[in-house]
Amino acid sequence: MTSKPTVLDLEKYIDQEVSVKFQGGREVRGILKGFDPLVNVVLDECVETLRDPNDAYRLTDKTRRLGLVVCRGLQVSLVCPNEGLQEIENPFGQQPQI
Amino acid sequence: MFPLSLLTTAKGNPMLIELKNGDTYNGRLVNADSWMNISLQGVICTSKDGDRFWNIAECYIRGNSIKYLRIPDEIIDMVQEEEMPVKDKNKKSFSHRGRGGRVNTTGRGRGRGGRGGRRGEGRGNDGRGGPRGGAR
Repeated sequence: MTSKPTVLDLEKYIDQEVSVKFQGGREVRGILKGFDPLVNVVLDECVETLRDPNDAYRLTDKTRRLGLVVCRGLQVSLVCPNEGLQEIENPFGQQPQI
Repeated sequence: MFPLSLLTTAKGNPMLIELKNGDTYNGRLVNADSWMNISLQGVICTSKDGDRFWNIAECYIRGNSIKYLRIPDEIIDMVQEEEMPVKDKNKKSFSHRGRGGRVNTTGRGRGRGGRGGRRGEGRGNDGRGGPRGGAR
């Protein structure tokens, strides 16, 4: 629809810390070093947030260091900058979703 | 009306996106492309079971991982108003794309069928535009 091939604008996050979520539930954060139109992503000083062994989608406070990684674009489901990311109280009142 | 027309019309509006993994993202749609890749601003992320929440300044969501989107009701009226120009725009961009090699290299233009009949209309080369007009 758009004339641009992709809405991906990760250029502005280069050398900043970003979070990447994968299909299947893994989540990592690291310093964005590079990316391509397929959303393959290079992260430096990457840290994976470990998940609850009983629930693949529930994150714990534990982490493990991965170092320099390439994230395979096919598996990436979400990329967001870590700056401005914070856990908050329920902003929707009683109902969790609109 | 096409899902992606609705989505492009909804640019700048708040919406809810649920991913296949169950997380939901509420935010303002900044941009969306033909793969339904989406960038959102002013995002509130809700965990799958709805008990944890995060504030995110902006995020990029791969269309691949989207389960569904909830869009404000008003958008549907805006699409109908804009249907003609949107259609023309699409036609242009698609025909460019086709000639640019995508359709030709994949042979997809032929695959759409109905070429013989459409050709007489003078726009027969536009493999994607033809059926689109007919579907309306």
